[in-house]
Amino acid sequence: MSETHDPQLLKGVLSVLLLHLLAERESYGYEVVQRLQAAGFADVLEGSVYPALTRLQREGRLETRLVPSASGPARKYYRLTAGGHEALAGGLGAWSRHIAAVDAVLSRPLPPSENGD
Amino acid sequence: MPHTITWYDRLRIERLVWSLDQQLYDLPRVQRIATRREVRANLLEAARDVGTREALRGVGGSRRLAEQFLTAEFGDNPRHTWIGAAYAAALTPLLLNFFLAEAANAFQSGVTATDPHATGVFTWSGVSWLQSAVTYTFNDGTATGHGGGWTPLAYLLWLVITVGFGRLWRLRLRRRPAVAPA
Repeated sequence: MSETHDPQLLKGVLSVLLLHLLAERESYGYEVVQRLQAAGFADVLEGSVYPALTRLQREGRLETRLVPSASGPARKYYRLTAGGHEALAGGLGAWSRHIAAVDAVLSRPLPPSENGD
Repeated sequence: MPHTITWYDRLRIERLVWSLDQQLYDLPRVQRIATRREVRANLLEAARDVGTREALRGVGGSRRLAEQFLTAEFGDNPRHTWIGAAYAAALTPLLLNFFLAEAANAFQSGVTATDPHATGVFTWSGVSWLQSAVTYTFNDGTATGHGGGWTPLAYLLWLVITVGFGRLWRLRLRRRPAVAPA
């Protein structure tokens, strides 16, 4: 799956996506990008993900630890804090409500167009 | 297939990392260093994975990346800039002193142009509002001077320029907590 995504839509859900991925297992920055791309967000740029991780850390939703790497500099692993788990639960609820509201509108039948198409 | 990182690749990565660093001077020092190290580690990892060109493309350039890091730290609201304030605070006295000194030199040159062997005490009131009076003592055309210091208004102007360039009025009394270094 390699469809592109609306950057504005993606921006709105990036935090929840990151929290969910990191709730599954802790990861370092580039690994998070790889996991996002493997999940179908092929057009997600590292330049968006790294600052988003920093913001979530500043907000107290992520904590970090440095892990030495055999292939280069130490990696900074991110994992959720208790506040991060709360934020994820809240984000999932908001996302569900959002989907339900959008679906409710988009599933309404459209009137036939005037030119008969 | 893993890519080999050459010295040229490392130089390209370091160029981006240090260019980014120069644009993050408004962040606390510890946080700026942590950001620099993290971006470098991730770029090296990405370069090994997809090649340096693609890895650098992925971060979207140092200016954009710096803007996103600053937005992540300070939010979307207009923000102050310490580096701008520092430049203004350093450069304003240099420029102001240069122009005031040139004005005083012009007065001194005027005296010696009138009389190359001038002797006596000559006082110039200085640049209005910005400078105190300058007194030159001439002895056969050779002058020694004193005075010409800044007035309180000049100091106020310095402060206003520093605050203006740094947009320091945007500083909030309650600072956001800084990111703990990993």
